Amino acid sequence: MADDEKDDPAPTGQRQGAPAEKKFDRRDVLLGLSTVPALGLFGYAWGRKRRYDQVLTPQAAEAAAAPANVREINVALLGAGAQGQVLLDAMLRMPGLRFRAVCDIWREYNQKRVVNILRKYKYEVNGYEDYREMLDKEKDLEAVVIATPDFWHAPHTVDCLEAGKHVYCEKEMSNTLEGARSMVHAARETGKLLQIGHQRRSHPRYRHCHEKLLQEARLLGRIVTVNGQWNRGVSPDLGWPERYAIPADRLKQYGYKSMGQFRNWRWYKGMGGGPIVDLGSHQIDIFNWFLGANPSHVTASGGTDYHDPATHEWYDTVMAIYEYETKDGTARAYYQTQTTNGSQGYFENFMGDQGTLVISESEANNPGLLYRDPNAPPWDEWIRKGYVSAPKLQELDDEEEDEPAVLDVRESVAPDQHRVPVVLRDPYHQPHLQNFFDTIRGTAQLHCPAEVGYETAATVLKVNEAIEAKRRLSFGPEEFRV
Amino acid sequence: MALSRPQMTAVVVLRVLIGWHFLYEGLSKLTTPGWSASGYLLQSRGPFAPLFRWMAANPDVLSTVNQLNMWGLTLVGLGLILGCFTRLASAAGLLMILLFYLCNPPFVGYFYSIPTEGSYLVVNKNLVEAAALAVVFVTDSGRAAGLDRIIHGLLRPRARPAAA
Repeated sequence: MADDEKDDPAPTGQRQGAPAEKKFDRRDVLLGLSTVPALGLFGYAWGRKRRYDQVLTPQAAEAAAAPANVREINVALLGAGAQGQVLLDAMLRMPGLRFRAVCDIWREYNQKRVVNILRKYKYEVNGYEDYREMLDKEKDLEAVVIATPDFWHAPHTVDCLEAGKHVYCEKEMSNTLEGARSMVHAARETGKLLQIGHQRRSHPRYRHCHEKLLQEARLLGRIVTVNGQWNRGVSPDLGWPERYAIPADRLKQYGYKSMGQFRNWRWYKGMGGGPIVDLGSHQIDIFNWFLGANPSHVTASGGTDYHDPATHEWYDTVMAIYEYETKDGTARAYYQTQTTNGSQGYFENFMGDQGTLVISESEANNPGLLYRDPNAPPWDEWIRKGYVSAPKLQELDDEEEDEPAVLDVRESVAPDQHRVPVVLRDPYHQPHLQNFFDTIRGTAQLHCPAEVGYETAATVLKVNEAIEAKRRLSFGPEEFRV
Repeated sequence: MALSRPQMTAVVVLRVLIGWHFLYEGLSKLTTPGWSASGYLLQSRGPFAPLFRWMAANPDVLSTVNQLNMWGLTLVGLGLILGCFTRLASAAGLLMILLFYLCNPPFVGYFYSIPTEGSYLVVNKNLVEAAALAVVFVTDSGRAAGLDRIIHGLLRPRARPAAA
């Protein structure tokens, strides 16, 4: 610091002792600037860090210059809310996409935010409020990814397909079966691709379970019962920054009565379908897929038991029981969703006469566990092939060891526990989006085409009907056909 | 009592290191699209928890808090590294850190879902950094080594002839 300490008593909180006669000189300038190099060093470290992050996250490097073997696709995002952001985050990690447009009626907030994000990634994107204007002006769009509220899915999808775009549309396909049907017809008539966002259909762990464990190895034997749940803790209604509120006339133009309804549309009849549709449809879709059948009957109970029914028209608590006639025989499936207690999160549990499979999209909830029934043939062959992990013996909890539990002869011996050795390290939606874009490029087939999305919509929307009817409803086979 | 040269050097090093930390915390938030303090605020414990949760629940307040936090950290960081408006920067930094501390205090019986890397009982790194900022504040080291020396040096001589 100072060359000569005696000349320069370092100033402190008590500055009155500072030498008043001393002139401002070169030493003052040097000491004044003495810590500037630290800022330079910071700048250097910061630059290194930024470059390192860019290498780690492939999007910036790869999106800028797609590998020669991946054809670039011009994409628009229609619906830039929370779910649109989730899909965008996954897409920004994928090579070969060029974002051209973002459409959202909340110009002041969501549209602006996503446009700014994409511009940071060096995409030349235009923001639109009206999707028809976007379709008119953005002639070179090839695909549109739709994440708007359910009641907009049908008009958005049909118009995009008819404008010659391939469409990835979030589930639920539509809040009405008529809407969903119009989407299937539009996909057929235009010959364009329509993928519905039941993203577990592309999840490698789910695909492994379906193809290898259930179809090929038949590890569960005959599946007799299924249960699943999505429990979610209480969360307050979504708010909005008042200064960014959408003017009333624009809200009305797009079908909303208020900003509160716009933000919380999932709870309103005529817009969404409530938690059974938002959450349940993902998992009931897996029931149908893994059982290889659509249900024959459904019984359900539900209501707005906890929230204010004035602002939560759809049921906050739903319990449903499906009956299936599978090729192996009858199976029954129970599903529960509630929004007051998030205990045990979400999972699906398939129980057959030879084993059990518990699986969840969330590895934290359940990493994919299999239990072999002691009476079932050994799984050694499948362990050797790497289909399942080696067994871990079920042991009693430590606390119980002091007083060993007394096993009764009527109890079943605890089964071995195996793991599904497939892990997804990418965002949940990435494989499903990748499947969509790969299909556009002609190197894959859709995992959830319109017809499959329709079957799931028909399966799930019937639950709300059964709750209203207060009785067991049957499905005719024609209800799943379009 | 003036500080000796080694004493002041140590304080300046401390100031620059804290500034580095603040600047990086601020810039990393500014460059993370959609960064928000809501998760941190929502898991608040202790006597002030209702206040912090209210901040997270109210979108207008939350967006202001987010902006203040990101820019506050960045500017305080710059101020501390450069020794520019050192008193203001260290006071503002002290206030921010105390708020972080009060939001999630490591008191007996509180368990947080965002894991920490060490073991803390009442005193955590926030509190230590706050105390370090108090040292920076009272020693006003920008006037010894920092832009404050130039700022004040340039202002001072003009007043002097009149006084002399």
